[in-house]
Amino acid sequence: MAQAFGIVSFAGNNIRVGEMQNYRPVGAVSFLGRYRVIDFPISNMSNSEIEHIQVYVRRKPRSLTEHLGTGRHYNINSKSGRLHILYSNFENAEWSVYNNDLAAYEENMECIEAVKYPYVVIAPSYMIYTQNYDELLKTHIESGADITLLYHSVDNAKEYYLNCSTLNLNKQKGVLSLEPNHGNAKNRNIFMDTYVMRKDLFMELVKKGRKISSMFTLNDIVNMACSELDVRGVSHRGFFASITDFKSYYNANLSLIDMKNAVTLFDKNWPIYTRTNDSCPTKYYEGASVKKSVISNGCLIEGTVENSVIGRGCVIKKGAVVKDSVILPGVVIGEDARIEAQVVDKSARIVHAKELIADPEKPGYVRRNDTL
Amino acid sequence: MKQNNMLAMILAGGRGSRLHELTNKVAKPAVSYGGKYRIIDFPLSNCANSGIDNVGVLTQYESILLNSYVAAGRRWGLDAQNSGVYVLPPREKADADLDVYRGTADAISQNIDFVDMFAPEYVLILSGDHIYKMNYDKMLDYHKETGADATIAVIEVPMKEASRFGIMNTDDEGRIVEFEEKPENPKSNLASMGIYIFNWKLLRKMLLADMKNQDSNHDFGKDIIPTMLNDGRKLYAYKFKGYWKDVGTIDSLWEANMDLINNKNELDLNDDSWKIYTEDTTVLPQYVGTTAEIERAFINQGCVINGKVKNSVLFTGARVGEGAQIIDSVLMPGVEVEEGAVVTRALVADGVKIGKNAVVGSADSEHIELVSKRVKGDE
Repeated sequence: MAQAFGIVSFAGNNIRVGEMQNYRPVGAVSFLGRYRVIDFPISNMSNSEIEHIQVYVRRKPRSLTEHLGTGRHYNINSKSGRLHILYSNFENAEWSVYNNDLAAYEENMECIEAVKYPYVVIAPSYMIYTQNYDELLKTHIESGADITLLYHSVDNAKEYYLNCSTLNLNKQKGVLSLEPNHGNAKNRNIFMDTYVMRKDLFMELVKKGRKISSMFTLNDIVNMACSELDVRGVSHRGFFASITDFKSYYNANLSLIDMKNAVTLFDKNWPIYTRTNDSCPTKYYEGASVKKSVISNGCLIEGTVENSVIGRGCVIKKGAVVKDSVILPGVVIGEDARIEAQVVDKSARIVHAKELIADPEKPGYVRRNDTL
Repeated sequence: MKQNNMLAMILAGGRGSRLHELTNKVAKPAVSYGGKYRIIDFPLSNCANSGIDNVGVLTQYESILLNSYVAAGRRWGLDAQNSGVYVLPPREKADADLDVYRGTADAISQNIDFVDMFAPEYVLILSGDHIYKMNYDKMLDYHKETGADATIAVIEVPMKEASRFGIMNTDDEGRIVEFEEKPENPKSNLASMGIYIFNWKLLRKMLLADMKNQDSNHDFGKDIIPTMLNDGRKLYAYKFKGYWKDVGTIDSLWEANMDLINNKNELDLNDDSWKIYTEDTTVLPQYVGTTAEIERAFINQGCVINGKVKNSVLFTGARVGEGAQIIDSVLMPGVEVEEGAVVTRALVADGVKIGKNAVVGSADSEHIELVSKRVKGDE
């Protein structure tokens, strides 16, 4: 059992995953066919033997709470463990600057105070990676740091991770500051919005941040604290994707079609849990052709699928061609329709449109429940 | 949620010895089927979908896996208050020595105290090793309508096969007048499905009498039903239409899996209104590689396919290497077929590895080849 409790944080105003986010928080967006983005941080915590997990919800709670349920599917002990869903003050409008993480933590301070664990691990609901938080906590305690931040070094920060923060580190991995990624350099240490610290320090920072400004975020107050506190960075290895804009969502899905990438994220000894849908295996018909794709259960495939991710319970009709696309659960692609470089949101039906073709550099989007 | 006043008892003690190595360590109801299920998921899901809250599962042969599997009643939603799945292996009692279940009826007789706990009006007796979807609540309605003492579900089988089954001869109203076990010259084609609804009070009395009868086989088909007919009890046949399969042999298990690829298959596992529930596995979706070719197949999550799969059923986590071919075959959970290997008309048992370029089974074999041990390939 880890000495920390977990907080799964919500996406702030800096993050917009296209129109998909209109329907639900980023954490509740379907990922790689059978998962939701939030399955990754929660599974990381559960696998790290963090027994008490608080999930914060900022807006549109329905699909997220439905998916999380009692948390039983995340292998959280039903007696000693807990998955606690906590809400922002919904009097603040969805996208209001007042509706931020520190406000939500303050709103639920009682629940944070009541937790018996001395440390807290805070991880975002909108990033895909695996990490043993118990090891990170041990590193944090051994180093004697006040705050430990997880980061990933990348060499493509000019085009990607533009809604993320970066860590400005000294040679000893001390964090000098947290800065927005302005896309003016290739090599950056992308901050994974993952923090480890003592619970009492966390509570202190929340209160302090709230006093300074009503729109301050945890990122802001930790940046400010860098001058007084010992804040250190720990480098993350393995697969990392931040679902912080529409393109990054599309790219993260497509990159995991390659088994070579998938093995850097998935590990038999580090299961990623999700909610079962009890769908049956997928049926491939005569004439089907599927290559280089990730296919979920419950699909009926008569057409052609290439370099795509197909969600649960999709129907790909005869003569249909799906290429370079991310198809969310319950979608129907009608006969002879040609779909290229699209993200087709949940339960959409493409029956009248015969061609939806975009450039993979600028993928298209089909709305949830829509009929085209 | 109190639903109907019927308790289900699933007979799951059989070995199924004609399934050979597949049932060396597990009982037949625990055998894998249909890409992700175990056979017993069918009667259990049927119970859950039919509004039955409590199910006793009678286990005996190699029951470790089966006992732990069915005990997790929440898989089928049988976990509300006053609802549950109860594992019932033979047990020692204060007034009787530990004894195995001597027959299907004896398995219930030895658990009369269990049934009494629920004080049900009706008891539904099921087999744990049949594949079908059936609403038992409708059968109960029929049982009540006819005012029967017992109702037996029957299915029409081709007349030429009727001599392989227990055949019910009925009058115009569906009342059973005669029961013949595997008759040489069948008079009807209504085969018993081994599904019975009894009024518990009456069945209880009959079981107590049967226990004392030295000449009895303690079997529903051989003893209880014939005695009831002799006594002039009202027994009705409830006609079931739809998919029903008793998979007794490797050939028939293979065939039942192949049925799922058939477009006209009546056992629609994709039907949301009658889901078959099973264990949830934490695995990846299917990974289909650049060199894969898949046609006419039924494939579960966790599979990794880089070769050719045609007319085959692949269970959880099966892997097919580049250049390998899986034709008219069933790969059970965790099977690994390495590069260039060819598997034809075979049923490969759980976790078996087939080495590089190995050849297994053949297109013109009379029977399906069961592969239950590692097949070595080129090193």
